[in-house]
Amino acid sequence: MSRVAAVAWFSFRELVRSKLLVVWLLAVGLLCGVAYLLAYLSYGEPLRIFMDLGLAGLEAAGLVVLLLELAVTYNTDMEQKAVFLQLTKPLTRGEYLLGRVVGFWMVNCLVLLGMTLFIGGFIAFHHGQYPLFWVAAALVMIQMFLLTTLGLAYQMIATSMVGTVLFTFFTSILGHTMSQIRWALERKPDPILRFLLNGTYYLLPNLEVFNLKDRLYDPTLTTAALPWGDIALYAFGYSFAAFLVGWWALEKREFH
Amino acid sequence: MTSPSETALRVRNLSKIYRHNNPFKRHREAALQPLDLDVPSHQAFGLIGLNGAGKTTLVKILLGLLTPTTGSVEVLGGSIGSRVIRARVGYLPELPYFPRQMTARELLAYYGYLYGLRGKGLTARVEEILEIVRLQKASGYRIAEYSKGMQQRVGIAQALIGKPELILCDEPVTGLDPVGYREVREIFLELKRTGTTLFFNTHVLSEVEKICDWVGVLHEGVLRRVARVSEVMAEKLEMDYWVELTGVAADRLQGFAHAETAARSGGFQVSGRELSGVLGDLSARGITVSGVRPLSSLVESFFLRTIGRESDLMFTNRREARS
Repeated sequence: MSRVAAVAWFSFRELVRSKLLVVWLLAVGLLCGVAYLLAYLSYGEPLRIFMDLGLAGLEAAGLVVLLLELAVTYNTDMEQKAVFLQLTKPLTRGEYLLGRVVGFWMVNCLVLLGMTLFIGGFIAFHHGQYPLFWVAAALVMIQMFLLTTLGLAYQMIATSMVGTVLFTFFTSILGHTMSQIRWALERKPDPILRFLLNGTYYLLPNLEVFNLKDRLYDPTLTTAALPWGDIALYAFGYSFAAFLVGWWALEKREFH
Repeated sequence: MTSPSETALRVRNLSKIYRHNNPFKRHREAALQPLDLDVPSHQAFGLIGLNGAGKTTLVKILLGLLTPTTGSVEVLGGSIGSRVIRARVGYLPELPYFPRQMTARELLAYYGYLYGLRGKGLTARVEEILEIVRLQKASGYRIAEYSKGMQQRVGIAQALIGKPELILCDEPVTGLDPVGYREVREIFLELKRTGTTLFFNTHVLSEVEKICDWVGVLHEGVLRRVARVSEVMAEKLEMDYWVELTGVAADRLQGFAHAETAARSGGFQVSGRELSGVLGDLSARGITVSGVRPLSSLVESFFLRTIGRESDLMFTNRREARS
């Protein structure tokens, strides 16, 4: 495990020092500012607007950070062949991949934590405690772990940086439309469309599991009422399966 | 060549066929034809060949980065897939790439950690290696600020950090200036003295002559020949030489086989087989020879003859002679 931790820490430092992430951190700051401004200018429900925009911003920020991580490391690892120096060391490919997952997620959490503290602090300061916001933010972080594992699995399979980024991006988009896909399937579409929808529904992750922002104002919803066990099991199970696929692809990959 | 216990690398019936699965252009390309190779422990083996000969493919297979189509590879008596074996192997790629925001010290500490070094032992080893590659002063700078030669030295450092018994290098002197060549050569010679086995691909044939005990010629995916460098040296009669004459009266050269060239250029080219006879003839005529110099390195001559390109050697020699 110590080698996994070494790869994770190395990945974390490599990415944190990347100028792309610095630029993105500035953009995140801007996003928070816009959310604050809109909430301030709105009539009636500034809390709701600020919280909705904040949570949407958290998800967008997590996704963009992940896409940047995948793009930067695809370039250094696969195209510039920096990965050769690591895979020829006494490190298994599974350890390397797991270390990468943890390192990427740590960077993602760093960005999300900063945003969460800012937005959560603002809400607490102006509107009092709102525990469900912290829960929603935690679920975004769990969702990002799943997407990170899946994105890295794509990186091991894909033969280009663009492919990796696009697959991850569309997985995230489609993952948030699972209820619509199920609705379309219930309407019994023609066989080809049904095949495509079934493939999407059963293969891609259902990211709606981690989405609380549409239910935040449900008066019956409490922190204790959330199906924590199911959510954790789903996140862990899907991430583990994605990790196994990525590991298998990395073991089979030819490094020309 | 050697018994198994003395063999660092044992390759049997190894071949590699690349399959290009582009839907518009499907084809197979044989990068390596079935080959056998033994590299003795504690010695330096230089693999030479033209671009595209299959040298890098062979090194990548030895390291487990590529899977052979047929055959087997034994590294230090085991499989390169084993962590224990990889802990005894160092690798220096051609133009190594490192994350540009990291410093050399951080990179070496990381790679050392992967080799199982920890705490004070790791710190001491990093310092030792930085001293060997002469990067102590620049070790705190980010890789982005390094010259190509300095990056190559970080590459050498990471290959040495785990005190490997075997080092595989792919074009180790690419991008280095003449001083860099010399420094790398000294590092390799020191490694040889301490018993490390070296295997490297190179285009720089003179380095093979200076560092290696064995030389192999890979041409179009076929291992054409493996020989001791000392044997190649003994084949020096095959080399061509330039014999330099100064201030020789034309009448003394009358009837001499190379008279015309000697009169025009102040010297002439002669093959190694003819050299002693020609020198005797000149001596008998009372002509003083002011110098004899080889027109190619021995390994270059060996290489070109092995791949059937003697004509290139003759062309180079004529061009050099004219200049």
